[in-house]
Amino acid sequence: MKLWDKLMCTCRRRSPWLFHLNTGSCNGCDIELVAAMTPRYDAEQLGVRLEGSPRHADILVVTGPVTHNSLEAIKTVYGQVYGPKAVVAIGSCPATTNVFIDSRTLDGPLNKHIPVDVFVPGCPPRPDAILQGVAKAAEILAARGNNLPVEPVVMPLVGPGCGGACACGNVTQSVESNAAESGAGHE
Amino acid sequence: MKILSMLWRNLWGGSRTLLFPARPKVSEHYRGLVCFDPTLCSGCAICKMRCTARAIEFKTGKGKFTWSYNPGQCTFCGRCVEGCKTHALHQDSACPPIYLTPGELSTSYTVARRPPAPRHVAAAVETVSKKDSGEAQ
Amino acid sequence: MNSLIHSSLVTALARLLIFPGLLFAVPAAWFFLWVERKAVARMQGRIGPPFMQPFFDLVKLLGKSTPPRSGVSGAMMKAWPLIAVSAAAGAVGLLPVLPARGGFEGDLILLLALLEVPSMCMIAAGFSSRSIFGEIGSAREAVLSVSYNIVFLLAILSIAAAQHTLSLSALALLPPSLMRSLGIAAILICLPAKLHLNPFSLPNAEQEIYSGPLTEYAGPELALWELSHGLEWVAATGLVATLLAPPVAMWWVGALIFVAISFVIVLLLSIVAAATARLQIDTAVRFYWQCTLIFAVLAIASTLFARWRA
Repeated sequence: MKLWDKLMCTCRRRSPWLFHLNTGSCNGCDIELVAAMTPRYDAEQLGVRLEGSPRHADILVVTGPVTHNSLEAIKTVYGQVYGPKAVVAIGSCPATTNVFIDSRTLDGPLNKHIPVDVFVPGCPPRPDAILQGVAKAAEILAARGNNLPVEPVVMPLVGPGCGGACACGNVTQSVESNAAESGAGHE
Repeated sequence: MKILSMLWRNLWGGSRTLLFPARPKVSEHYRGLVCFDPTLCSGCAICKMRCTARAIEFKTGKGKFTWSYNPGQCTFCGRCVEGCKTHALHQDSACPPIYLTPGELSTSYTVARRPPAPRHVAAAVETVSKKDSGEAQ
Repeated sequence: MNSLIHSSLVTALARLLIFPGLLFAVPAAWFFLWVERKAVARMQGRIGPPFMQPFFDLVKLLGKSTPPRSGVSGAMMKAWPLIAVSAAAGAVGLLPVLPARGGFEGDLILLLALLEVPSMCMIAAGFSSRSIFGEIGSAREAVLSVSYNIVFLLAILSIAAAQHTLSLSALALLPPSLMRSLGIAAILICLPAKLHLNPFSLPNAEQEIYSGPLTEYAGPELALWELSHGLEWVAATGLVATLLAPPVAMWWVGALIFVAISFVIVLLLSIVAAATARLQIDTAVRFYWQCTLIFAVLAIASTLFARWRA
């Protein structure tokens, strides 16, 4: 059954279906998530579909700091996602509650309640960063479905960076996007 | 029927999609990760006070201090950069990367406190007496 | 006599299982689904999904875990997608792609009945899932189904009645005429509603009713629903293609023409889907009852009048 396992692994990686859950977000990350479906970033090239029902989805995409009112909904929806699943926390809010750190209405970071696989930092993160997070989650999902080990993240950062001018440890490399050049005629 | 001409133009004009994993360039003054230069920091902790998300932590020790920063907590507002008097902080125009475990991106620096600069002693001013100046002339 | 029954049984099985049955129809369904998504994407200025995407979707769904279902409503929920897939596959198998082989008098009625079964199964599935979103989606699908089905059935029956035949093979061999063109135009207008495309994509509207009738389905059952949707595409576009295709002598040329005309119809439906937005339920129903029903009634009335005169 090795061939079937390989086929299933490829299919799970190539066809991630998302369900979007908003746990009290300011909607900035939600807007960037929907922007990832627009023609410039086009999530459908990865096979991503934004599904209407959590039972249809593989990847649960969560935005927002976790409010008390949404706790039960989070647990219910997480239980409604079947099969091998992955959770992506979009923005700094689900990872660390960001600026709302002392609020009485929140209940801590998201990984206190459900296991989170990928964190996409940013306030809000750019749509291309969200797509990278979803692609990494699809890889994790495929590996988890076949009980394979997960590889670490090796992703190039975007932007010219400081070019090593400062003594900080951030290694940045510029990534020129060729498609942006070819698509520049539309700008 | 303008929609049909729009569809026709889209069909033959090519797609404007960025093929994954290509990413668009960020603008010049993009506010990304906060970079810290330990050689310029004077240890005043104004950045920790101004930080809106408590992403910057500052601990003092004996003759040294530790400055740590968690990009996962940061909201990239730039108040710390604005408030730093010695320009030890600046914002890199690069997006923070995705990570898999919480707290993975935190960085911290332990900087030894520099000895204070010597006080500027006023040089002894030579007083020219009137008698001397009169005799010279 | 025995050999006659034997050969017609073999022909029927070949039509159901090989061409235009399951062996041809399932890859054709994936191909048409991909063509629709890619064409809509290109017309919206983006790159669409890669070529094997419907295949990846189906295999991935087969690998998900199944929800536990119990009781009578659970058994019914498991049965509806199976019935839908077998009905759609039977409808594809009945298509007169090669008119000289097989077929029987009255198979037009069987084809129309089999084409209705998938949408009826979806309505039933929405109600038997006992979720509020399923019920709303099913109610909308039922209202839309009543509206477009009247036009659809009247159009096909007017073509058949004008030629005094109820056999699909005889209909496929007809020469082109005004009545036939009007009937085909009426069928084409009903196709977006049948296949849940814009502007009549209300029943499975996401973000409104959480996927409508199929809300509670997951895993392999959802894979069967996707398969039945694809086979419905092949059957519906194939019906129009067989009515439009000219009869040719060699069987493989006829098959190629069938695929080519189906492809053109899929592109036409994609243009309509990309150019329009979703209509609300009352506007959609009003479109079928007010705008198109009058033409269907005129078609059937003129057919009956011509037969009475003849």
